[in-house]
Amino acid sequence: MIANNPYMPVLVEIADVINEVDTNDIKTFRLIFLNREDEAKFVYRPGQFAELSIYGKGESPIGIASSPTQQGYLEFTVQRAGSLVPGLVTGALHDLGAGARIGIRGPLGNSWPVEQLENKNIVVVGGGFAFTTLRSLINYMLDEKNRSRFGQITVIYGARSPGLLLYKEELTAWEKRGDINTVITVDKGNESWQGREGFVPSVCKEVAPSPDNAVAVICGPPIMIKFTLPVFFDLGFSRQNILTSLEMRMKCGIGKCGRCNVGSKYVCTDGPVFSLAELDDLPHDF
Amino acid sequence: MIEERLVLKKTAIEKINELAAALMEMGTLIAPVQEAVGANFKTIENPQEVSLDFYNTVLSPKFVFFPQTENFLSYQIAKPFTNAEPVELAITPVFLFGVRPCDTRSFAILDRHFEASSIVDPYWRKRRENATIFGYAFALDTPPDNADFYSMLGIHAADTEGSDIFMVRNDGELLLKSITSKGEQLLSELTLLQETSSDDENYYTEYLARGREYKTRTLCLEQETAAGKFEEIFYNNDFWGKTASACLSCGICTFVCPTCYCFDICDETMFKKGTRRRVWDSCMFTDFTLEASGHNPRTNVFQRLRQKVCHKYSYSPRKYDVISCVGCGRCVRSCPVNIDIYSIVSSALKI
Repeated sequence: MIANNPYMPVLVEIADVINEVDTNDIKTFRLIFLNREDEAKFVYRPGQFAELSIYGKGESPIGIASSPTQQGYLEFTVQRAGSLVPGLVTGALHDLGAGARIGIRGPLGNSWPVEQLENKNIVVVGGGFAFTTLRSLINYMLDEKNRSRFGQITVIYGARSPGLLLYKEELTAWEKRGDINTVITVDKGNESWQGREGFVPSVCKEVAPSPDNAVAVICGPPIMIKFTLPVFFDLGFSRQNILTSLEMRMKCGIGKCGRCNVGSKYVCTDGPVFSLAELDDLPHDF
Repeated sequence: MIEERLVLKKTAIEKINELAAALMEMGTLIAPVQEAVGANFKTIENPQEVSLDFYNTVLSPKFVFFPQTENFLSYQIAKPFTNAEPVELAITPVFLFGVRPCDTRSFAILDRHFEASSIVDPYWRKRRENATIFGYAFALDTPPDNADFYSMLGIHAADTEGSDIFMVRNDGELLLKSITSKGEQLLSELTLLQETSSDDENYYTEYLARGREYKTRTLCLEQETAAGKFEEIFYNNDFWGKTASACLSCGICTFVCPTCYCFDICDETMFKKGTRRRVWDSCMFTDFTLEASGHNPRTNVFQRLRQKVCHKYSYSPRKYDVISCVGCGRCVRSCPVNIDIYSIVSSALKI
């Protein structure tokens, strides 16, 4: 028997499943540890991920969408893969409901550098489905024990349509708060959409967050990143002060299987969080 | 530095099978066996199978510590819950016999990876701890295989690094010298071995010295220069395109390589019984980096060959302070289109 085997998942039970979008292919799973010891060991930070495991299907690395300040459970927002890849694990997960048990391995990876972000103004920019670990960071910063440690918080979040925005109730709650500036946009609204329309890069330009003592945390589809970065450069953000979370195919999550290797880094252990300055030092092979 | 131990014993080559039988009584013996394709390391069932008449094995001995398939978990799919049980790692002492110096070096390189950082691979470590390695010097009276280039990596034909016991052939005799305390202990337990004379001692010492002078094809390669050069030419698509123009992406180079360690973790079920296992994988395969979104950073063959070469000669030096290639020549001998990593390195250095 190997003690503390990093390849062994522990069991969690699905406590709740929330259908996030009107296309029904993105759901948030709330998970509760079956064993208290396992829960006590799972100490995580915003930006980390875990391997979700379904016996007979496999494992998938998924960013943790809840914040460590939310005690007693974990949340993962998972898109059903399958248009271009088999999507065995995410497909099986989507077919499970409350009461089902799955395996989990983690927490894995580095995290948003929350200590370094202290006393800074934080600009969070998210696009579409890539908002999950940003939500973890935002809820972490908004926690009453933590809020005073951070400066102004600005969130700019966009989706293609109103029905594709994640965490709708939370977004509404943030919009009502005075200690966070929440800007929600959709590429194209519908009859009932009262909010803003426009692509994330142009909304960033409009909001024009100040680079003074600020860090931008940006996650989204490649096309959004491509057009958003120049806006932040124009605003005066340095490459050190723009953070992102890198996507790369992973298996083991502990820096052994070689799959997420980019240059001298393993995205699973050296990342997934990198500053643009750090990414500049890596071969563009991701 | 591991203290050089002084025990030197010997046996007649024709009595190798007796030594094999003695080792089989003490644990599992893995040694070279002649197969239709050439020599390969096998778990020995019949001591007569062991053969030291080979140049090098077709497959590297990495599978002894990193098996092609390693079962992690087994389970029975059931309702309402499937419970999985870890697959116990059966541990017996392993004697790995007849390993060439380039391959013993590969274990030390893989140690840096599997035991790197705070996360240790428990399977690698357990298997390593339970093995005693009998290194085996290359023959010095015949020329090296044209594919080999271990001299370029600073490995000698009679390099004792990484061995617990090192073996040198002297006509019809085999000299066995302990390198580590583990090897010393074992040599003292193997009572069927003969004592040696000062002539044997001198022969062994001279053999090691001659091994240093014996050269495969080689060129002057500094680790730092290689690492920097491949960073510099990473975006040279012309170079990589030409280098990879014949590559079939078959992955045989990574399969036979003693330092390639990429693996997949997958579930396999038959009826209701299932296993989660790790299996060797290859960065030469197109879906190796295919992401769930459909994005794949390495769709072109040249990008994958570049990954393999840069990983060994640039990324590994940067991350683990070692070039992860031992110049054993297996990838060169196995490649169906004659791609030669030595030539790639040599051409790259001229850019």
